[in-house]
Amino acid sequence: MNCADVQRNQPDITDGAGDPELQAHLKSCAACSELVSDLGLIANAARQLSSFEEPPARVWVNIANQLRAEGIIKEPRQVPARVTPAPRRWNAWWLAPIAAAILAVGAYEVSHKAPQQVAQQPTPAVQATQQSSPQVARKSDPAPHETLQANNRSSVPSGASAESPAQQRIDVSAPPAEQDQQFLSEVSEGAPAMRTTYENQLQAINEEISETQEYIKTHPGDMDARQHLMETYQQKAMLYQMALDRIQ
Amino acid sequence: MESMQHTAVVTLVLATCLASSAIAETKKEYRFNVGPKANISVDTQYGAISVKPGSSSQVVVTATLNSDKAEVDTQQRGGRLEIVSHVLSGGDAQTGRIDFEVQVPTDATLNLRSSTGPLSAEGLKGDLSLEGADAVVDIHDVSNGHVHVRTMRGPVTLTDVRNGHVEISSISGDVTLKAVTGPLVQATSGSGKIFYDGDFGLGGDYKLTTHSGDIEAIVPTSTSADFSAHSMLGAVHNDFPLAPRHSRFSFAAGSSFFGTVGKAASDVVLRSFSGKIRLKQH
Repeated sequence: MNCADVQRNQPDITDGAGDPELQAHLKSCAACSELVSDLGLIANAARQLSSFEEPPARVWVNIANQLRAEGIIKEPRQVPARVTPAPRRWNAWWLAPIAAAILAVGAYEVSHKAPQQVAQQPTPAVQATQQSSPQVARKSDPAPHETLQANNRSSVPSGASAESPAQQRIDVSAPPAEQDQQFLSEVSEGAPAMRTTYENQLQAINEEISETQEYIKTHPGDMDARQHLMETYQQKAMLYQMALDRIQ
Repeated sequence: MESMQHTAVVTLVLATCLASSAIAETKKEYRFNVGPKANISVDTQYGAISVKPGSSSQVVVTATLNSDKAEVDTQQRGGRLEIVSHVLSGGDAQTGRIDFEVQVPTDATLNLRSSTGPLSAEGLKGDLSLEGADAVVDIHDVSNGHVHVRTMRGPVTLTDVRNGHVEISSISGDVTLKAVTGPLVQATSGSGKIFYDGDFGLGGDYKLTTHSGDIEAIVPTSTSADFSAHSMLGAVHNDFPLAPRHSRFSFAAGSSFFGTVGKAASDVVLRSFSGKIRLKQH
């Protein structure tokens, strides 16, 4: 199976999670792996969004189950022993559901309570100068979980090693700030040299999320801002995903 | 006391020089016969990856190892070829560095990954996926394929990318696009700047977005595009004579401009949260 096959069979991908050819391809292709992950997430989020005001705990369980069903959460692959084993990779599959959760939070914030889009009269092609520039407070913790607290505390991927230390630290329903700390702890353990880089980037993204959320509070009708918030969440998910790819 | 310190410094410098010279570079060459549209992955934790077009049926990989603290693993299964470097026990970013120079068939699908980079690809027509945390990414003279790039801080430069499905995402790296056209061209950076120099093609969707980074697009007067620009907290500048048009959505606040040039063949969206946006004529 190659990328073209994956593209051709997109509608069936979530049902064909057990396909060994698909799984083999996903292991070697970051783009398709990301696509499949996104498809599963979108399908899951779409099912949930229409029926509740705030995502209940089952959202997080479903996300974990979906990822498990798709084979994204799985036992670490056994690799042939080397004479001198490379120390750089460690089990970080727990980051996958967290990355998915970040995307789900973004999708929820963007799509929920979105105001009706209003058609506008013909507008001259001149720039409209901003009337006011609201000051945006920076926060170290964006806390998008304010409306998304989940009660379930047992969504540890069952496909991961049952006794792994990483798994014992995992709590995908934890508040984002706590997840970030777990994430950084794993980075510290597996690749200490990368800790500062990831920490700085994570802080920058969290500040961007916080700024955008503050802006949306005062400009709820700005669809661009909502879209921007979603994309910033995607960037945060990308950061987690890059760590997952690099340090698993 | 000062003399002792001076001697110690000199000794340290000499020792460092000697240690450095003791690290001998080793070159290894690998050759693989492949069929059409081979899928080739190169993954090195520390080091450069440079890919150029070569024979239509053979992949030639030249690995330059900085020490014996790293090794290269290769695996070929059907149309898929994987080249992976491993840092061995005791290795670090210096001794574990392996640079790859790769020659591939032009229709190959490539997956390149390196934390440090740089990553470069040129003269290819297959799909490209490049990922690097701090890696400088340079892609030029490629066509007819998907070009996906992800970096954390590394700057990304694309030059002469034609008919591409381009998606670039960087958290804080700058993105430079010169003569990049295709049915879909998207570039996103958080705090990095985005610079576009080209004509936005004919019939493509172009979307350049940042959070705090500035966006600048320089386009010729012959451009045919429908522009929408919006910075929520930043300024926008437009030197281009845009014809008015209907806008589906209202912008709640911030600065914006929109309008068409020519037959509006391509759709161009420039959006930033707090960065400046500027559209200039050539």
